[in-house]
Amino acid sequence: MKKLILLFVLVTSPLWALEEAYNFDDPVKQKLFLELTQELRCPQCQNQNIADSDAMIAHDLRRKVYELLNEGKSRAEIVDFMKSRYGDFVSYQPPVTPLTIWLWLLPVIFVIGAAWFVLTQRKKQVNDFDEDVLAKADSLLEKEND
Amino acid sequence: MKKISIFLIPITLFVLVSIFLYKGLYGDPRQLDSTVLNKPAPDFALPDLMQPDVIYDPSIFEGQVTLMNVWGVWCVTCAVELPYLTELSQQGVRIIGLYYDQDTDPDFGIKSIPTIQQEVTTKLAQLGNPYEFNVFDVKRDYSLDLGVTGAPETFLIDKQGVIRMHHIGDINTRVWRSKIAPLYNELMAQ
Repeated sequence: MKKLILLFVLVTSPLWALEEAYNFDDPVKQKLFLELTQELRCPQCQNQNIADSDAMIAHDLRRKVYELLNEGKSRAEIVDFMKSRYGDFVSYQPPVTPLTIWLWLLPVIFVIGAAWFVLTQRKKQVNDFDEDVLAKADSLLEKEND
Repeated sequence: MKKISIFLIPITLFVLVSIFLYKGLYGDPRQLDSTVLNKPAPDFALPDLMQPDVIYDPSIFEGQVTLMNVWGVWCVTCAVELPYLTELSQQGVRIIGLYYDQDTDPDFGIKSIPTIQQEVTTKLAQLGNPYEFNVFDVKRDYSLDLGVTGAPETFLIDKQGVIRMHHIGDINTRVWRSKIAPLYNELMAQ
């Protein structure tokens, strides 16, 4: 069995060699590389980040991130580098602009609006009950008393 | 009055959402706004594909309206548009190629330059050669600077070397007449 596993490892190892391995001396950079490739979006296959995608452009962007990190560029500088070429689209973190502010505002407005709606409706119901039904009840009671 | 508004609000919301989704149905998500538009072509120093001794820089755009076509022999759609591009170049449109290869991975260097040259020569002999010359984007760095996401893509560059249009996808009669030719003619007249 052990021999079989060893054989398997030997046969498949060339496949591993094809995987790109980006190694950094600095573990901080290594971590940043993983974070950035998760956060940057592949412009070709748009629902994948560049870490997941196998498109050529994703390969190129990964290599670029690696190069820039080794040049000592910061996280913000690398994201800016990508944005200046592929637009805001390339980052999964949208910037706050007059157009995108609604992404944050709409849910808040909705919750406040819904709360207001529920509260005012409830109050109205209680009032309706008070006026109409009680008046009727009163008149019925009066009839009974007569 | 109150009853009307109760119906009106959901209907308005429904119509708005429908319009939004309808637009999404027919929009091409790959058609992104290019960031290089109306800016001078980024700087570069890259070799000619056929004569690697010749090094080009952005001065190749000066004084002429140019179509720069990003392509490769591995790209199927590029092969489809090559005959039409050849037709355009015969009509006097200046077309230069920005060639990049999939298999020359800078990290491994699988394919040699003579092989690529051979492939390109064969392909162009088959389908027509619209290119004045081909700039070889060896490491695909220039494509990255231009915001290229794949091939084919075409840039329309004016006489001052400013990028005026970025077209993603192939060029055919329809695209040329409706999208590119109007601006091309305007730039030529300048």
